[in-house]
Formats: sequence, structure tokens, C-alpha cells
Amino acid sequence: MTRGLLPAVCCFEFQFPFSQTMKSRISAELSVSRMFQLAKPDGAACTPFKPDPAFKNGTMEMTTRLTWNEEKILQKLLGNVSLSLFYKSSVHKCSIENMLDMCNHQGSTITVIYLPNCIVGAFLFGHYPQMDKNCRNQNYSFYFSLNNTRTTEVFNVEAQIDSEKLAFYSSNEIIFSLIPHESKVFIHQSLKIELGIQHFTSSNYLECEVFRVEGINDDKGYIRRITGVVQYRNGLLAELRGYRPYADLVSEINILLLGPVGSGKSSFFNSVKSVFRGHLTRQAAVGSDVTSITEMYRIYSIKDGKDGKSPPFTLCDTMGLDEKEGVGLCMDDIPHILNGCVPDRYHFSPQQPITCDHPTFITSPSLKDRIHCVAYVLDINCINSLSSKMVAKFKQVQKIILSCGVPQVALLTKVKNYHEVLQEDFLNMNTSMTSQSQIKKIQKMLKIPIYNILMVENYALEWEQDPLKDILILSALRQMLRAADDYLEDLPQRRIRFFFR
Amino acid sequence: MDSTNRLRNMKTRLTWLQEKKLQNHLGGKQFSLLFKASVHGFCDENLHSRCFCQGPTLIVIYSSDHVFGLYIPQNDKNKATDSCLLFAFEETEILGCEIGPYNFTTIFFPIEREFKINLFRKEVKISLDTLKKLKLFQHQIISLEECEAFRCEDLLDTRKMNGVAELRENLLSAIRTYKPSRDLVNQIRILLLGPVGAGKSSFFNSVKSVFRGYVTHQAVVGSDRTGISKQYRTYSINDGKTVKPLPFILCDSVGLSEEEGLCLDDIPYILKGHVPDKYQFNFMKPITPDHESYINFLSLENRIHCVAFVFDANSIEQLSNEMVAKVKKARRKVIKCGVAPVVLLTCVDTMDLITRGDLINIYKCMPVKLKREEVHKKLGFALSDILVVSNYTSEWNLDPIKDVLNLSALRQMLWAADDFLEDLPLEKKQQSEKSISQKNWKKTNRWS
Repeated sequence: MTRGLLPAVCCFEFQFPFSQTMKSRISAELSVSRMFQLAKPDGAACTPFKPDPAFKNGTMEMTTRLTWNEEKILQKLLGNVSLSLFYKSSVHKCSIENMLDMCNHQGSTITVIYLPNCIVGAFLFGHYPQMDKNCRNQNYSFYFSLNNTRTTEVFNVEAQIDSEKLAFYSSNEIIFSLIPHESKVFIHQSLKIELGIQHFTSSNYLECEVFRVEGINDDKGYIRRITGVVQYRNGLLAELRGYRPYADLVSEINILLLGPVGSGKSSFFNSVKSVFRGHLTRQAAVGSDVTSITEMYRIYSIKDGKDGKSPPFTLCDTMGLDEKEGVGLCMDDIPHILNGCVPDRYHFSPQQPITCDHPTFITSPSLKDRIHCVAYVLDINCINSLSSKMVAKFKQVQKIILSCGVPQVALLTKVKNYHEVLQEDFLNMNTSMTSQSQIKKIQKMLKIPIYNILMVENYALEWEQDPLKDILILSALRQMLRAADDYLEDLPQRRIRFFFR
Repeated sequence: MDSTNRLRNMKTRLTWLQEKKLQNHLGGKQFSLLFKASVHGFCDENLHSRCFCQGPTLIVIYSSDHVFGLYIPQNDKNKATDSCLLFAFEETEILGCEIGPYNFTTIFFPIEREFKINLFRKEVKISLDTLKKLKLFQHQIISLEECEAFRCEDLLDTRKMNGVAELRENLLSAIRTYKPSRDLVNQIRILLLGPVGAGKSSFFNSVKSVFRGYVTHQAVVGSDRTGISKQYRTYSINDGKTVKPLPFILCDSVGLSEEEGLCLDDIPYILKGHVPDKYQFNFMKPITPDHESYINFLSLENRIHCVAFVFDANSIEQLSNEMVAKVKKARRKVIKCGVAPVVLLTCVDTMDLITRGDLINIYKCMPVKLKREEVHKKLGFALSDILVVSNYTSEWNLDPIKDVLNLSALRQMLWAADDFLEDLPLEKKQQSEKSISQKNWKKTNRWS
């Protein structure tokens, strides 16, 4: 279950240890009892109290109750953050005043509540509110459940603290509140349902810990993104896993990647495959200093999981484009590629295109063999310095593609500020990104509409699983599949036209 | 805006190096920032209330030209006191002396002490005796610009060690039960290439030790030029529990060298599976089909499915231009054969400032990051393909932290091998599947 939500990171794989949690809870409860009993001698003030060694790693010390794996899961859930513990109810006094002394002016925080059978928490953006029973502070907050590795959306909350209670209101209703001196927590039923913990009825918590959250951008948009990013990514991945080509006209959509050497064509394929697999994958072709490797035409399909079936699309990789004549992909090869006449692993020659006499030439390609979408792949950082010769080459290529009627998208790679590409709900691109000069230039050069100028950051140099990168990669792939579907949908009419002619 | 600025400021002023030096000096701690005067106010009471009962506490003070402070081991509800460490940075080195005994509360009492902080006045007072010991300050009263306080926790505590042990078991299980992609082969062959002395044989021994349960030695370790290390060796490893072969074989060749060492023209033959176990390499002459032990019949089983270049992390800077060129050529030959290489960086635990506690988060350590970037720039490997391992050299028994590093790298190599197998041309896969069917038929026949 956890794996599906949080694919393994590069070197470490974490699984949510439920049994470990249960043992931890039981052990912790015993520790609490023992601590209570041993508190008496200290009250007598005889010899200095020396903690029982059994308490060393239990509740007595300022150490979180989270197991190491739970901490990792939580850090990932919150967007690869660091957590610094500074308040623990069993060590510091269970009072609002004491809690505030510790918690105010610490930056963004999470308050983690350990109930007997689950761990829940609240993220609060910015500083902890001040105590004032007559005043409610506006703020942003979201809630999470570690058992289900789930977060809620961001709430606009009004936080209010009086001498007994810390409460978060939304629409004038308390959705989350703490009464520290009674170790009580209230969670609104709709919030419980959203977190998947509606069957947990206990309101007495065992422990409350407050952490500062470090390593996040201090803006509201970022907070909104981290609450929805994993869910959206998983939904998008499921959608693409379940994708079927338009009217099942073909069993697979073939997407051709075209672009200069080093633009990220092979990296994009590797990134798509890595997203589906959940860990870094490698294809020998990646590594642009070994240029001869990509002289081959490759049709890559993606195994989904070890022996799973492949999603119904392939990514086709060619020799790179070069601005010089007689170097790079030969223009006369392109129609044959588009028509599906070039077989997998065919070795291109810059000077000599494939001919129908070639032994592996596919003489009667079907619709399934054709290219259904072309993606021009360019490094976004190189667009403004494209030479006029390369621009001319692109136009030459495009002319051929237009005459074959194949839909086109542009795929811009190496987008360093990829956090800013999408709006907060991930449904559309930000105008601040789509109005960049690079986008305008591509739109003008290739006459591609902006909604089909796609931006990604490949997993080329470093694999640290980032659901936002995944969303960009999967969204780009989805746009290509949509363009291909439009192409397929248009075919019957052309056939009809041909029939009447 | 003010709130945003304050948010941004809740971060230590210590550089990575200063923090690391302090962590190591205090015996492998990690620090959680609890108090910062410029955010929380220059107020002794505030410092006290935020830091009380937080466990061992570190106070760091920044004056106009010095960073210094106090480490207080006792900070809980009992009244015990203990010696404290007063320290100061001289450039990047730490000078220290013991003062006390104190606990966290007594450090703020107005009685004359060796060391006293007065946040309200933004000054620190140090006694003459202490001043002499530290040999760094000129005056007893020092103006401070900033004061930070941290909770100190062990980098390796029971909680983390439990997590490491669990992760180790998960990795062991995943590798024991690993099956190559579509069962095309029974065992993955991993070729280790690299300069002499990089740790190839040590890595093999370390991997074998994990599955054996104690540190063991089979491949001969040492950078000598004996006849043994000029051989091609294929090592299959049995699981210590089940005594069954594990699903991978580690293959070792003679090391790369500027002068002698592995002949680069041998690489394609090794990768395709023409070179038999125990073949004696000749640095001037590659194996040829005429050779008596040349393996003519090729199968998917016999070829190399993953290549790992092994380098000593401490030797990257000293690689000569000839060696760099040789490695690059070797890498290209490997890629031309369709295999995607990875890099194993050994001996990271001997790097400056790296301690055992760092191994659990090794990819985030600055020196290791820099080292990986150097390999990327110098030799051309992708950063994500540069893995870090920690070989057993002098130990007798296993360390779960080292095991996690080594097993994680091994699993990456198995995934790389899967990628290789999936990318094979269809006819080779079909051949392999046919041979699998034949095997199954034979089994059925024998059984009936």
C-alpha cells in the first residue's frame, strides 16, 4: 500500500511498519505507567532522581516517538522537509502557556498527535498564534494521517487560543482542537473521513509533539501544492495506466521524439519509465558524449512493474538533428519514419536514407506502425540562442511532418523552475510561465499552440523522487496522447473524403 | 512581510563545516535549533523557557569576529550538574576547555562564573582563568551579535538503529527473492571494473559477508600485481541461510592501469560472455576466438548484464589524465555493448569529516556530494548512477549501516540489469524463452 503512494527513493525503501507501530504504542504505554510511579520519590526530594535506563529512549527524553521509518514517510509526505522537534507534552508541562512558550516564533510547524491506534497531525503555516480568547488569527493549515499517508487540502483557518484550548475554526466551526491539560483532541468528523480515520473514536491522546518544518518555500502556493501533489500524481498515473487509444483504432500510440543532440530526448524516455517503475531506470543511450549510440532508431515501450503489461504507447527515439547539411538525421528518412517503414534498431546514416530495398524496410505498414504524434524536444535554456540554421532545419522538418498530417507538440526540457509551471490545482499551466520569451519563440517558429508547448524537468542527473516532476512528465505524456487521439479521430473523415473522391 | 522575514530567519548561521566540526567534536550529535535571539528576542528568560528540559543543549554565540559557545550536557528536571565544554572556533578548528560543573539552569544565575551570558545587554563575560585557557579572546567582556541554542541528539540512537536494521532486512529479502526480468536468466552477472586498488575485491567480499552473516574473505584483497589478480573470476554467492545460490554473480577482472592492466579490447569479449572463469589476461593481447578456452556458444546466461566501475573516493583527484582517458574509453565500450554502467565509490567512510553516523544519510553529506559531482564532471557518468558503498576492511562482524549502503547499491545494479534485459532485441528474448520451455519440458519428463 505504501509503495503505491510513495515509490521507493534512490537508495532507501521504506515500508510503513504497522506491527512496529503497535509494539511501539504498547511499550510507550507501559513506559508512561512506570514513569508515573517513579515520580513519587522525586517529590520526596531525597537523593537526586536518576532516570531508569528503560526510559532512556522512551518518553522521558526529548526524542520523537516516530520510528525512523515513520519520520521518513512524514518528511516525504510534507515535501522532502526536515523536522526539528521542540515541544513534547510528556517532557514539558501539559499546559497551553508552556506549549506557547516553546512554540511561538518557530516558523511553520506540525503538531503531531499520537492516539492509541493512529498518528494524526496539523500543519500550520507561519508562526504559532498568540493567546487571545477574543481574537482569531487567520492562517493556512492542513491535516495529515500517517496511517494512511494522507493529507487534506489546505484550509483557511482561524486559530484561537485561550488558557485551556487551542482551536482551529473553518467556516465558524471547530475542525481541530487540543486541550493539553486533559490530553484531549477533537477532530471534526468530516476531517476524519477525509483522512480515512473515521472509525477511530478515541479523543484522549498519548503524546503531543510539535516540530518546526524546515526546507519548504515560504509561500502559500507551495503549501497548497504539497498537500495535493501526491494525490494528483497518483491519479494521473492511474489515468495513463488505464489509457486506451481513440476507439481502439490502434493497439499502441507511437510518439516520435525529435530534437538536437543533448536536448533531453533519451532522458525524457528514461524519466517516463522511471515514473511508471517507481525507481530510477537506465537506458544505455543516455549520455550525450557517446554520440554514435543514438544513430539507431529505437521504439521503446514501457514495462509497468516487473512483469506487468505495457501501457499502450511507445516513445520513438531517432538520431539527433544537426544544423549542418549531411550531419544528424537525414531529412529524407523522416517520411519513412512517420509512415512506419523504419524498423526498431535501424541504423541511420546521415548521407543515405533508408530505401524500400533495404532488407528490414517495412513495405506495408499499418496504422499501428505509423507515428501518431511528434514531439520536438528542446532544452529551454538554449531556445533564445538557436542558430538560424537550426531554426531553418526545424522548419524543414516541420514542413515534412505537416504534409504527413501528424500532430505536433513541443517538449521543453531542463526547466529548473519547474515548481512554477503549473497552477496550484495542477490542471493548467501558469501564465507567468507560458508568457516567457522562449514559449513565444517556439509558438512563432513552429506555429504550435501554447497548450501543446510542454515543460518538464527530467530525472537526468539525480534521482530523488519528486511528485511534482512526475506530474509534469505525466501531463506532457497525456497531452501527446490527446493530440494522437485527435489525429485518430480525424482519420475516418479523411478516409470518407478519399472514398468519395 | 515582517512575519515572512522572521520565518526566513529561523535558520542557523553556522556553516555546514562549522556544524559538522561541532557534531564530530561532541561525539556524533545532530542539532535542532530551538532558540535564536534575533527572532525570539534578546531575553535570558526566553532562551531559558524554550530550552529547558530539552536534553543536552548547545549554545552558540556570534560576535563580530568570533563564533564560540557552550555545550551543556545536563538539562532536565533533576538537579544534576556536570562539566560543560566551552569552545571557540579558530578558523575551522575548535578550541575547547571544561568549565563547571553546571546544568542548564545554573548557567544563568547571577553568581560569578567562568562564563556568563547576558542577552539583554548583548554581552558575554568570561573569567580571566578561562580566557587564558582558550587563548583566543582579548577581553573579558565580549559583545554578541547573535545567540542560538540547539538541542543535541545522538546521530545514531536506538530509534534510528532499529530503522536501519529493519531496512537491512527488507533489502536482504528483496535481493534474495529477486528474479531477473521475465526470468530470462537465472542469475544476473555484474562486472566490476576499475583501477587497481579501488576496492573491487573488497566490495565482493563485503557483499558476500552480508549474506554469510559475518565478515568473510574469498576474493583476494590487495593491490599487488600477483598472478592471481590478473585472472578473470566469476563469483557466485550462496545465501548463508538456505545455502542456495543468490540471483547474481559478481565478475572480477584485472584492474585498469595506465601501463599494464586490462586490455580495453577484452571488454566486448567479457561483456558478451566469451571469457571463461579463471582466464589469464594478457595486457598486450586480447582474447581471440582461437584461444583454447574461448567460449564460442553465447547465451544470455553467460553474458554481463550490468557493469560497475569501482573507484576509491579518496583517489578521484589523483587519477592521471591517462587513467581518465582509459576509463572514458572503457565506459564507451560498455555503452556500445548496450549495457548502462554505474559507479561504485568506495571508502567514503574514510573521507575527512565523515563518521559512521553519516552513513545513514550519506548522499546528503557535503563532501560526498562534491565527490560525486567530481566523478560526474571528470568521467562523464550521470550523478544518479554514482553510488556510494562502504566495504569491510578491518572488521570481524557486520555493521547494519554498512550493509544497508552496500545492499542498496546492489539493488540498483539489479534494476540496471533489468533495464538491460528489457531492452534486448525480441529475437534474443524469444531464444531465451524457448530454452526455458525446453528446461521445463525436461523437468516434466524427468518427473513423470
